[in-house]
Amino acid sequence: MATRRRMLLKVIILGDSGVGKTSLMNQYVNRKFSNQYKATIGADFLTKEVQFEDRLFTLQIWDTAGQERFQSLGVAFYRGADCCVLVYDVNVMKSFENLNNWREEFLIQASPSDPENFPFVVLGNKVDVDGGNSRVVSEKKAKAWCASKGNIPYFETSAKEGFNVDAAFECIAKNALKNEPEEEIYLPDTIDVAGGGRQQRSTGCEC
Amino acid sequence: MSSNSASSTSGDDDFVDSNSVEDRLATVALADTVEEFSSPPPNLESQDGIGFASASEGEDEDAENDEDEGGVAVGEGFVRGGVVWGRTVSEIEVDAPGSPSSSGYAGERGSSGASSGEVEIDEVGNDEIKDLRNNDGEGVLDSQASWVPGKRHVDEDDASVSWRKRKKHFFILSNSGKPIYSRYGDEHKLAGFSATLQAIISFVENGGDRVKLIRAGKHQVVFLVKGPIYLVCISCTEEPYESLKGQLEFMYGQMILILTKSVNKCFEKNSKFDMTSLLGGTDAVFSSLIHSFSCNPATFLHAYTCLPLAYATRQAAGAILQDVADSGVLFAILMCKHKVVVSLVGAQKASLHPDDVLLLANFVMSSESFRQVTSESFSPICLPRFNPMAFLHAYVHYFDADTYLVLLSTSSGAFYHLKDCRMRIETVLLKSNVLSEIQRSLLDGGMHVEDLPVDPLPRSSAISSHLNLPKPVTDSPERFRDTCDGIAGPSGLWHFIYRSIFLDQYVSSEFPASISSPRQQKRLYRAYQKLYASMHERGIGPHKTQFKRDENYVLLCWVTQDFELYAAFDPLADKALAIKTCNRVCQWVKDVENEIFLLGASPFSW
Repeated sequence: MATRRRMLLKVIILGDSGVGKTSLMNQYVNRKFSNQYKATIGADFLTKEVQFEDRLFTLQIWDTAGQERFQSLGVAFYRGADCCVLVYDVNVMKSFENLNNWREEFLIQASPSDPENFPFVVLGNKVDVDGGNSRVVSEKKAKAWCASKGNIPYFETSAKEGFNVDAAFECIAKNALKNEPEEEIYLPDTIDVAGGGRQQRSTGCEC
Repeated sequence: MSSNSASSTSGDDDFVDSNSVEDRLATVALADTVEEFSSPPPNLESQDGIGFASASEGEDEDAENDEDEGGVAVGEGFVRGGVVWGRTVSEIEVDAPGSPSSSGYAGERGSSGASSGEVEIDEVGNDEIKDLRNNDGEGVLDSQASWVPGKRHVDEDDASVSWRKRKKHFFILSNSGKPIYSRYGDEHKLAGFSATLQAIISFVENGGDRVKLIRAGKHQVVFLVKGPIYLVCISCTEEPYESLKGQLEFMYGQMILILTKSVNKCFEKNSKFDMTSLLGGTDAVFSSLIHSFSCNPATFLHAYTCLPLAYATRQAAGAILQDVADSGVLFAILMCKHKVVVSLVGAQKASLHPDDVLLLANFVMSSESFRQVTSESFSPICLPRFNPMAFLHAYVHYFDADTYLVLLSTSSGAFYHLKDCRMRIETVLLKSNVLSEIQRSLLDGGMHVEDLPVDPLPRSSAISSHLNLPKPVTDSPERFRDTCDGIAGPSGLWHFIYRSIFLDQYVSSEFPASISSPRQQKRLYRAYQKLYASMHERGIGPHKTQFKRDENYVLLCWVTQDFELYAAFDPLADKALAIKTCNRVCQWVKDVENEIFLLGASPFSW
């Protein structure tokens, strides 16, 4: 309830277990990276303020667990998301192939009003590994898939080296903003005199 | 006593009989630590084994935090019917210090300092700086009058040690986890925390269940789900679950008063809907409501209180309002601070709930723009208990710093008509000296315990007795206690609240010197609140009386069909005498009911 209007964007990060979702978020928010793998349990939440085109945003980042057993978190987690980030590991084919499932799952659960135009961003992570020699998903292939899904913006990132991470998140903010609905005038009803808004009133307290 | 409709029906009703309380006392057993129950014979002369049993639940005064120094005593298992849900907490990592990335709650917060600092300075206007300063000095000033509504500690977030130490947090968020309101700290910086709360609620909902309460050590986390709006209170004040839930209901009601339930439609249309903009500028309304949870007994009694006035004066004010009420006004209320002077309904004969009166008064008093004396305001407001779906239109005018008139109409074009009404009302109020009478009453206060008539017999000359009675000569053997304590009523009576059930009104005595600081008053209200909750606990059957002694007070509660009496005595007070005193208080209230209650024409009692 600040005096100046700020925007809060709910950003969901999805992708297979171990592709580096938490690392990307940590690199972006805390500028930190750890080689140690620690599975996220359920979900993790981070907040980051960014300024973009003279406006201040708060990104509320929902880092979800990639493991199947947590996918039941479903609707509640995805509800009201402003943007969805799909992450895969360029060194693991399966994680790329699963992007389609993640995307569809999200659209089913979140059921956004305009699924065709819902803002996604795809990140191909871990481009630093083995100097790129262990890479199995080519940039071309990834871009082709993104293009086929309504021109999803695509970034190749390294959470470890901090490569492209800021650019990716800036795009996320930009995309979420694009999708901002027009403001409507808030106009509730007024009580109708004749009808008399008489309500059943309970006696005493029920609190 | 079957009817309160008319004046002074004082006399030999059953409750005047001093034996009756005693009898009831004998019949009830209650849950808490220190009550003792004896079966007193009709003329109980002393108490068996009333030791100085200490409840050890006294609220400590460690005041590192402002207005919520509640009890930080051991949270003994206060298990209620509600779902006590805790298992999944660990799975969602509500607070996992081991995890470096966890939600900013674990110390490493996510806000990038870079741009935020500057912007905040922009946002913290002069008012807020003043508020902060006032707040810091609050402990020193220690006076209720100096309390200034408004957002506190905006610079904090969930990583701040100070934020985590606050004794009572309130949050409002949307069902997508977007923050709407936080009592302390900046909502946006708490976005991660807000998401965590939503995750907890939603996770349980996913399982077809509902989370009501989580206990975590000394803390209680109370949840209230209202459609797309989630309300959460995190408290270590030891208040009962039912009380905290009631406070969340008030928070929701206050929000509805400002926006109506139509806000739900915004979420139906757009689940991403961010409500904060709709509530812009209302921080003070919520903070003042939260403040009232610890200083206004109406928040747990669900009754309103009247400014004491001579019967004729109130009648005169009522007659003036009645004139206008017949001409297109739905409700007309003349108030002095949070006390009702007189209120009336128009031709529609709708009724006004005490909770709506409280929320309306809070809204009017905490909004600076209404407060300009001689200015007039016209604002859409919703009375949640009357009709949560739609707006009414409120004309608000302050006659002086404390006294204001609210005229409610269903028509958005009623401004000039209501203005006209107000001018007519004002003329007559001035001519008949009602406004000066109101000011005088405000200065004099209401019932002072030391004025409690000694004579338990009905008094015929009751009128105006409460203001002018000479101090009674105490015939009590406990007299030495009164003197050593400085000020107290007969037999160690410190304070009482009497709630009339039919009238939905209560009267509360003025505080004696022994309970003069806001802190002491809050402690007493919390004790009453606890008493109220334990008397109204569902499932354990209706309680009639409760006698409780701890190191702070003797508390006596007596509930009948007609009224509820809550009384606080010196902790060394004699039990039999306390009971007798309660009977006298009831008689006293009855004697002066013409002045302290709004009778007869009361629209609330339907």
